[in-house]
Amino acid sequence: MSFESAVAILGLQAPLEGLSVHAAEAIATPVGRDATPGAATPAIDARRVARSFGSRRALVEVSLAVAAGEIHALLGPNGAGKTTLLRVLGGLMAPDSGLVTVLGADATRSLRSHRARIGLVPSGDRSFYLRISGLENLVFFARLYGLRRRAATERANEVLAAVGLEAEARLPVGEFSHGMQKRLSVARALLTRPSVLLVDEATHDLDPHAARVVRELVREISAGGAAVVWATQRIDEIRGLAQNVTLLRAGEVRYTGSVVKFAARVRVTRHVLRLRSRAGSTAPSLFLLRQLLAPVATVEPAVDDPELFVVSVRDDCSLGDALAQLTGDGVDVLSCRELQSEIEEAFVQLTGDEPTG
Amino acid sequence: MSALGHAAPGRIGLLREELAKLSAFLRRDLLIAWSYRLAFVSEWSGLALQAVMFYFVGRLVDPSVLPTYGGSQATYMEFVAVGIAMSAFVQLALSRVGTGLRAEQVQGTLESLLMTPTSPSTIQLGTVFYDLLYIPLRTAVFLVLTALAFGLHFDSGGFLPALTVLLAFIPFVWGLGVANAGFILTFRRGGGISGLVVTLLTLFSGAFFPLELLPQWGQHAARLNPIAIAIEGMREPLLGGSGWDGVAGELLVLVPLSALSLAIGLLAFRAALRREKRRGSLGLY
Repeated sequence: MSFESAVAILGLQAPLEGLSVHAAEAIATPVGRDATPGAATPAIDARRVARSFGSRRALVEVSLAVAAGEIHALLGPNGAGKTTLLRVLGGLMAPDSGLVTVLGADATRSLRSHRARIGLVPSGDRSFYLRISGLENLVFFARLYGLRRRAATERANEVLAAVGLEAEARLPVGEFSHGMQKRLSVARALLTRPSVLLVDEATHDLDPHAARVVRELVREISAGGAAVVWATQRIDEIRGLAQNVTLLRAGEVRYTGSVVKFAARVRVTRHVLRLRSRAGSTAPSLFLLRQLLAPVATVEPAVDDPELFVVSVRDDCSLGDALAQLTGDGVDVLSCRELQSEIEEAFVQLTGDEPTG
Repeated sequence: MSALGHAAPGRIGLLREELAKLSAFLRRDLLIAWSYRLAFVSEWSGLALQAVMFYFVGRLVDPSVLPTYGGSQATYMEFVAVGIAMSAFVQLALSRVGTGLRAEQVQGTLESLLMTPTSPSTIQLGTVFYDLLYIPLRTAVFLVLTALAFGLHFDSGGFLPALTVLLAFIPFVWGLGVANAGFILTFRRGGGISGLVVTLLTLFSGAFFPLELLPQWGQHAARLNPIAIAIEGMREPLLGGSGWDGVAGELLVLVPLSALSLAIGLLAFRAALRREKRRGSLGLY
């Protein structure tokens, strides 16, 4: 059998002219590295992407652009279409219509030379071989990325150290905790020094410390020049992590733009106040508070703590008006915080769903 | 230099890269198999017990009803040992090749594999590469151990021709397995139909009884059955000492059948994979 015939049988594609065909070369020179945030050509450019499953529309004319070095949050409740969009961007699923360009190439063609530059951190634990060690898993995947055995082992050890798993490297993955498996997922994505990283619910079910570790790792990858799409329904984590956000609801884009502007869309009107009567050092009665605040706000008791109240300021008034009213009439304000952050408020207003996480 | 001239070295490089990945799959599956040592022991024990059972059944069988090979009369145990080895080979290979990718799908590793710059065909081959090496080896070891344990006479000069028949037969089973893998990928369950096909092919293969016992139409059907052709192709040199002359006819039929089976299997599998990608249901199980 000739090489040509064997190539045809194995279904190998011819390399694109001008692009490196060898995975090792691709890993060494990711194209996204050259780009800078805000560059004319985004690393990820999805335009009017539509995808249905039977009669259910999972994505409706979704557009998304992510520059190199940017972390772009993909926010939305369950079933919003986040995972579907990530799978389309990763070339794992073909859209019904629309254009998807990743690193300058058509993602729907799923070119092999480009897959070496795209990392995926899937949701859930089920993406490793549980009977073999974390190190052997990573060496296996590194070899599928084209590294020779010695180089694969060296790289696997490097990324295991980067995610803090070097001590557990030789344990079977089946013995890993949820958080450790998630870190191993990030380590696998790091194997190729990806130019594009797709992260699906990476911190779902992780404890705060493990979640912070994963976020830091992703932030470092982004700082190295990778375009990151971070799908989540944990609203609290996108502040300080993502520069831009796209909010999906039932497959439709409800908002896309900067996180700062997203948060600025709403005025927070609901606050949780801890109040105490100055005279008796006891919690003021709900009846009294409603009387005092009637011109400026409404009051509801918070759950399980007699000193906590939820104060909703009227549209034509400010929180300061309410606080002045209270302190002027003998009620001390011991603490005050927003009931939901402005990001959470925007989420609720745009999706109609209460956020999770 | 022509465009083709540019592309050819690239393709050869790609092919080398893809072939190098097979050793990664092999190492992975060796490590996984080693982690299931008890299952390994159970599998060999089951095969040995099956051989013991046929030894006692063989004592009930009148050797005169058995066909002669090279003019000499084989015992039932000699006759059936080749049949046991080959039917176990077919069943195990079909099952493992068919369910290899399904296992990746259920484990959740299939999408991770597809995210790597690896051809789907390499992934398919990689998931069964260990089995494609292990199962023929297991078949050969079984025949040797059975011969030693039960005092069977196999012509030593027939081992190489018999091995060649086995090698020519592997792509046929592989093709069926790959088609089965595509079926399972599409319909999520494929054991029923593939099991029925294997049982039918084995029934008309002469693995456990001579084909002459079948009705006339069954004997005609068996002449077209690649499993029957492969089994006879192994018995001729091992039991009759026919050497290469005894297997030439079988090889002439088996080689094109194997090529056809493998080509159809790979096409069916690629079509199934494309369909799953289009439907977006690769990760579902």
